Amino acid sequence: MTSIGLPHFLIVGAALFSLGMVTVVTRRNAVGILMGVELILNAANVNFIAFNHYVDGPGKLTGQVFSIFVIVLAAAEAAIGLAIVLAIYQTFKTIDVQETDLLRQ
Amino acid sequence: MAAGSSNLRAYLVRLAVLAAGLGAMILAAVLHRFAGLGLGLTLTAEYLAVCCVVWGLNAFVFRRLPLSWFSLLLFSAAVFGGLFFVAYFVRGIVAPFLVDSAGRFIGLVRLADLIFYVLALMTVAGAAGCAFSRNIIYSAWSLLFAFLGVAGLYVLLGADFPAMAQVLIYVGGVLVLILFAIMLTKQIGGDPSLTNAHLGLPIGAALAAATIGTLTYMAVMAPWKVVAHPSYEPVSAALGIAFLTDFLLPFEVASVVLLAALVGAVVIARKEIKETSDTVLER
Repeated sequence: MTSIGLPHFLIVGAALFSLGMVTVVTRRNAVGILMGVELILNAANVNFIAFNHYVDGPGKLTGQVFSIFVIVLAAAEAAIGLAIVLAIYQTFKTIDVQETDLLRQ
Repeated sequence: MAAGSSNLRAYLVRLAVLAAGLGAMILAAVLHRFAGLGLGLTLTAEYLAVCCVVWGLNAFVFRRLPLSWFSLLLFSAAVFGGLFFVAYFVRGIVAPFLVDSAGRFIGLVRLADLIFYVLALMTVAGAAGCAFSRNIIYSAWSLLFAFLGVAGLYVLLGADFPAMAQVLIYVGGVLVLILFAIMLTKQIGGDPSLTNAHLGLPIGAALAAATIGTLTYMAVMAPWKVVAHPSYEPVSAALGIAFLTDFLLPFEVASVVLLAALVGAVVIARKEIKETSDTVLER
C-alpha cells in the first residue's frame, strides 16, 4: 500500500490543467474562457506547492512565494479580463468570441 | 394573533419531540454501553426514540405528508430496522477491516489518503463541471468546488497561508467577479445557457484525455528527488520574512501591478458609460 506522494498531486494538477485548457479552447463565451484561465493558473499553483512540499525540502518556501505571486496575478488578470469582457459587451452587444472579429479580414 | 401563537406552540412542540428523540437515542446507547441496560429494554427505548425523531422530522420536513399513528409506528419500524442494519454492518463487517487492535484506522486507504482522494475528486469534478457544463451559471458554481478543493489540497501540502489566500481571493473575489460579469452581460442565445461547440465536445474530451495522459505519464515516470520527511510547520511568518527580504523587489512590483490593474479595470469598464453620460450632458 503506497501512501499519497508527489505524483498524486501532479496528476491532480495535470487534470486541472487539461480541463482548463479544454474550457479555454471550446468555450464561445468570453467569461467561460476566463474561467478556464483560472483553472490553468490553479493547476500551476498546485504544482508549485507540491514541488515545494516534496522536493524543495523543509524550511524552503520558494514554491509557496511563487504561488502567492500567481494568485496576485490571477486576481489582476480576472479584474482586467472581466473589464475587457464588459467593454466588448458594450461595443458588440454580445460576448460570443466568434462574433467579435473586428480585426479579421 | 391566536393563529400565530398556536403556530409557535406547534413549532416548539415539534422541536422538543425531535430533541427528546435524539437525546433518548444517545442516552439509551450510552446506558446500554456503560450502565448495563438490558438489550430488550435498550431496543424498546431506541424504537420509541426513533418514533419521536420520525414524528418530529415529518412535522418539520415533510409538512404535507399525512401520518397517522399506525403509519407512524410502521414507518418508524422501517427506519429503526434500517438504522439497526447500518449499525450492524458498520460494527460487524466493516469495522474489522478498518480498525486494528490498537484502535487505529487502517484498511484499504488510510484516513489522510481518504481525505486526499475526496479533495482530489471534488477538485477534478468541479473542473470537469466547469469545462463541460451547458450552463454558464453551473460552470461558475462548479468552479467554486474546484477552488475549495484546491484550497484543501494546499492544506494537505502544509501550505496554510496559500490555502487561506486561495479561499479569500479566489472564492471571495474572483468567483464573485465572474458571477457579476455573467449577470451583467447578455449571454449568447439570450438565456444564460450557452456553451461550447466551437471545437465540439468530442474533440474537447479527446484533447483533455491526451493532455492528462501525457502529463500523468511524465509525473509518474520522472525520477523526482523527493525529500524523506516533508515538513508541516506553519509558514505564514516565514513567508512574510521571505517577502520582505529575498523577494522584496517582486513584492513591490506586484503591488504596482495590482494598482495598475485596478485603475486599468475601472478605465476599461467605464469608457462607454462615460461617453453616454457626455452625450446626455450635451443634450
